[in-house]
Amino acid sequence: MSDQKQTEATIPNDFWHADWGFVIIVAMMASGVFAGTSMYYNYGVGAFNEVAFVAMLKAGIEGGSYGAAAAFGASFLFARILEGSLVGILDLGGSILTGVGLGIPAILLSVGAKSLVSNFWLAILTGAILGVLIGLVIFLVRKFTINQSGATFGSDVMMGAGNQTGRFLGPLIVLSACTASIPIGIGSTVGAAIFYAWKKPISGGAIIGAMILGFFFPIKLS
Amino acid sequence: MHVLTILFQSLIIGGLVGFATGMGAARMFTAPKTQALGAFRTLGEMNAAEGDAASHFSFGLGFFFNAWASTVGAGAFTQDITHRVIPNWAAAALLLKDKDPQKSFQNPKRMAWAGMVIGMVVVAFLNVTSSSIPASLQVTAVKVLVPAANNLINLVMPVLFWLAAIDAGRRSGLFGTVFGGVSALIIGNAVPGVVLGILIGKGVDELGWTKTTKIILTAAILLFVLSGFFRGFDMTMIKAFHLAVPQWLTNFHGLLNVK
Repeated sequence: MSDQKQTEATIPNDFWHADWGFVIIVAMMASGVFAGTSMYYNYGVGAFNEVAFVAMLKAGIEGGSYGAAAAFGASFLFARILEGSLVGILDLGGSILTGVGLGIPAILLSVGAKSLVSNFWLAILTGAILGVLIGLVIFLVRKFTINQSGATFGSDVMMGAGNQTGRFLGPLIVLSACTASIPIGIGSTVGAAIFYAWKKPISGGAIIGAMILGFFFPIKLS
Repeated sequence: MHVLTILFQSLIIGGLVGFATGMGAARMFTAPKTQALGAFRTLGEMNAAEGDAASHFSFGLGFFFNAWASTVGAGAFTQDITHRVIPNWAAAALLLKDKDPQKSFQNPKRMAWAGMVIGMVVVAFLNVTSSSIPASLQVTAVKVLVPAANNLINLVMPVLFWLAAIDAGRRSGLFGTVFGGVSALIIGNAVPGVVLGILIGKGVDELGWTKTTKIILTAAILLFVLSGFFRGFDMTMIKAFHLAVPQWLTNFHGLLNVK
């Protein structure tokens, strides 16, 4: 960027500071996160996302619809790419974690391109390609439309609603634990209360509490 | 075997993500001159730690335990691993060696390498410990989490997004309501429709009816028309109104039915 070189002579134009370095790190990030979703698909661990968002993907994997995950993730990606190139910080939560880690896998799975997600090495590659594309888009937007309008396409509205959703998960987990069995319900309630007292999100405590009691008083998967 | 595969793959993705997180976070301190990868909240929180290694470390630690709980329970790291744990722990590690911000957490090169090491350790630890938990625990997690997640997706999310669309202005409320209803009918979940409604409504609020917003609207309508057709929604709807399905439509479906 010519204007940047003039204003910022002190910042060297090497890999660590230049725009092309950004394209590389977005590719690395997207690759790792997409492969993390691949691990989640195969082993049930490794998704770089909030429980509530991963739950959307899980609903699709278990035979439901991928629609919620796909739309949620993809629209975040779109909005964050626009915003990221304008403000200079690409929000990695909305763009890579939610978009590449959730929305795109959901789209690929729903159209039947399973191997791109289930094969770890293909997932690494797919993620890297997606990252390069995202990085290039931002690179180009920065290059050509420097004084663009500050349109966010309502990503703040969606982010707000998304975060609200996360808050609902804690109580929902306790409610669902209470219908699973009495010990698990008690464990979940106590866990949630302890986490709340510690000023931590109560969903974590609700899960841990349910699991500790579930270990001593196991239930069957019907 | 199983655990070794998980360990190996975790080291790879942890290294990739950690490197990018560290470097992206350090670049935030010179944004927008250098395009960064991170989040405004991460920048704010790292500033709040005021270059103190212990503050950075303990801030990350709190979120680390939360992430551990949610990985054990649901296999999800939470976004805090990349937003909070890796950047702050990388900063803490570098600050132990050098107190100068330019040579520690504001240096993309050093943050990248520190982030890579921390990413590998953190991701491997989370994945291996949570994948080695006993089966009875996983049954509990599934029995408790899946119904909760279903409630969340089918009821809470549509309502929250819908209300957010309505609160965001008349235009996004109107588009959100129409697309939300259509989406619930065709796709079975209102969220995709409401999200598109917000996207279009706010886009038009901010930009007006430009080429971009018109393209998005057309794409959204096309999405519903096509997914409705391929799910056979058109025929189901005609039958639900007690009408006869025209032969040409059945033939058309037979012609294009992939499954």
